[in-house]
Amino acid sequence: MFEFESIVFYFFAFLTLSAALGVILVSNPIYAALFLVLAFVASAGIWLLLYAEFLAMVLVLVYVGAVMVLFLFVLMMLDINIDTLREGFWRYLPFAVIIAVLFAAEIILVLTNPKFTSVVGDASAALTDDNTRALGSVLYTEYLYPFELASVLLLVAIVAAVALTLRRRINTRYINPATQVQTKPTDRVRLVSVTKESPLQFSSPSNDKKGKTSCPD
Amino acid sequence: MLNEYLPILLFIGVASVIGVAPVLLGMVLGPHKPDVYKNSPYECGFEAFEDARMKFDVRYYLVAILFILFDLEIAFLFPWAIMLKGDTIGAAGFWAMMLFLSVLVIGFIYEWKKGALEWE
Amino acid sequence: MIIDAWVTELLLPFLGDYAAWAGTFIDLMIKIVAIVLPLMLCVAYLTYAERRVIGAIQLRIGPNRVGAKGLLQPIADALKLLLKEVIIPAEGNRFLFVIAPAISLLAALIAWSVIPFSPEVVLADINAGLLFVLAATSLGVYGVIIAGWASNSKYAFIGCLRSAAQIVSYEIAMGFALVTVLMASGSLNLSAIVNAQAGATFLSWFWLPLLPMFVVYFISGVAETNRAPFDVAEGESEIVAGFHVEYGGMAFAIFFLAEYANMILISALTTLLFLGGWLPPFDFAPFNWVPGAVWFIFKICFLLFCFLWFRATFPRYRYDQIMHLGWKIFIPLTIIWLIVVGLWMRTPLWLW
Repeated sequence: MFEFESIVFYFFAFLTLSAALGVILVSNPIYAALFLVLAFVASAGIWLLLYAEFLAMVLVLVYVGAVMVLFLFVLMMLDINIDTLREGFWRYLPFAVIIAVLFAAEIILVLTNPKFTSVVGDASAALTDDNTRALGSVLYTEYLYPFELASVLLLVAIVAAVALTLRRRINTRYINPATQVQTKPTDRVRLVSVTKESPLQFSSPSNDKKGKTSCPD
Repeated sequence: MLNEYLPILLFIGVASVIGVAPVLLGMVLGPHKPDVYKNSPYECGFEAFEDARMKFDVRYYLVAILFILFDLEIAFLFPWAIMLKGDTIGAAGFWAMMLFLSVLVIGFIYEWKKGALEWE
Repeated sequence: MIIDAWVTELLLPFLGDYAAWAGTFIDLMIKIVAIVLPLMLCVAYLTYAERRVIGAIQLRIGPNRVGAKGLLQPIADALKLLLKEVIIPAEGNRFLFVIAPAISLLAALIAWSVIPFSPEVVLADINAGLLFVLAATSLGVYGVIIAGWASNSKYAFIGCLRSAAQIVSYEIAMGFALVTVLMASGSLNLSAIVNAQAGATFLSWFWLPLLPMFVVYFISGVAETNRAPFDVAEGESEIVAGFHVEYGGMAFAIFFLAEYANMILISALTTLLFLGGWLPPFDFAPFNWVPGAVWFIFKICFLLFCFLWFRATFPRYRYDQIMHLGWKIFIPLTIIWLIVVGLWMRTPLWLW
């Protein structure tokens, strides 16, 4: 009889792997992005099984809730033609195979190295019940320097994002809402007193030019 | 951990059934008489004259990118916030976050001054 | 737990070793149904309440024909929508088109699995409860984006863009407001957050020290659910119905349910985080004779009434005004208040 926990693990692992395969195999980029979302959610499930509660939630919050939204924005709105994407598939294939082999070799090297497996064993022992609290107790004291570096990294990202995407639009009729709500009737409407003229003569047809043009046929 | 999250897993299953089942039921019970005009995208009675998936203002991307950055910042704030009560991380931990925040506030002021937050 | 043991005993001769699993499973399913079913009923009757309340505000009667005082109106609406055709637009994406409303509803529902209704009455009492709620609700934007894209219609597309940008903008302000709640409570667990607000009177709830955050959170919640006055994503008068313009029949009904379920969720969260959850306003008789769940529901109803009240009172914001409010007023305000609360907590003047 299987342990229930391992059944759940295999379920999430299967989901992660098949979603990851979906990302690279489907032709429609939108479907690929949605498969990636599924892969993230499923790997969050695996992290939960490893007691990494905080990281699992943040994975969903940041990657699924924010990063993939941007990806989908770009993919949906860029109007990508699927046919042009498939061009040059064969030309790039050898290059892709080399990279894939390199990656596979790296992963095998890491996984078979006893140095790394021992580290993983230690970490799971440290992750106890209240994961977030354990993280908070060291992140801002022991790992202060990398933490502050992260803020600088985020600052650079903000500056880069603004520098790359900000384009001033011309010919816009922008109104500042703050000034708009402060307007008073006296700024917009000027009441003038019109001097009374002599009563109009309706009897003669030659004077009635205005009325004729506005009259629909 | 699994004991705590098992109800959530089941809940997700139940909630997806609640989301999908009525639509399928509606497709079965409702009439199905498609025609060209009914299935064409709505455009105030005109025929659609170009593809709906058009290009749009780059500003939406900017909002999405800034959202990612601020979301990350909030993720950093969460463990800090729950450690603050009872003074478990002490004054050093408190001022570490103030430094972190001040760097990001610089970024926020930068984008404000650059006009990245204006919608014209 | 009683059901659990009972079912296990009942199934023992048939399933052997698996009987304990089946017992837990059935027990959990009963609890889930006990949350979801009343919730869906509340959603249905919220639509009725909305029409009656707005009717009263606008000096009309509202629905009063189906059943006594129109009480069967939501059921009649659901039946009508069930029998309507689900039109899938040509050149739209069939699968995504059908799945989008389900994603919206899923995001609105799963957060309920960690909401405590009264002490000890909660389906999944997880440590990272608030983080889970934030992660779950951040999935809601997918329903909108997928619906807008799969419809292959310009109005749906513009509506989805507006809505997605608006939702993500207000999510930041909401996130910062949540951080201040965490600072005051010192825990991510929703029950612990409520317990941290316990005190003699309603003055010990977090709305008082975090008053600006309470306001920001609730208004962001209104914006997050795309409700009036932030409903430019739907904006009937300009882009007809926004992202769900192509939807009809049951598919539309699911979007509708998701919107109302989200309203109830935001009200419940505001209650838990700022208004003391199930705690009575005064901790003495006769107030503490009333069960906690009743206070919880009462507070939710009050906030839901505010949702309806806003809709009947305020005209729709312009899109640039919405973004201005979100980015230039709420975010700076939340950051400043976060620092203020942080400094305040380091002084003996912090009483909460």
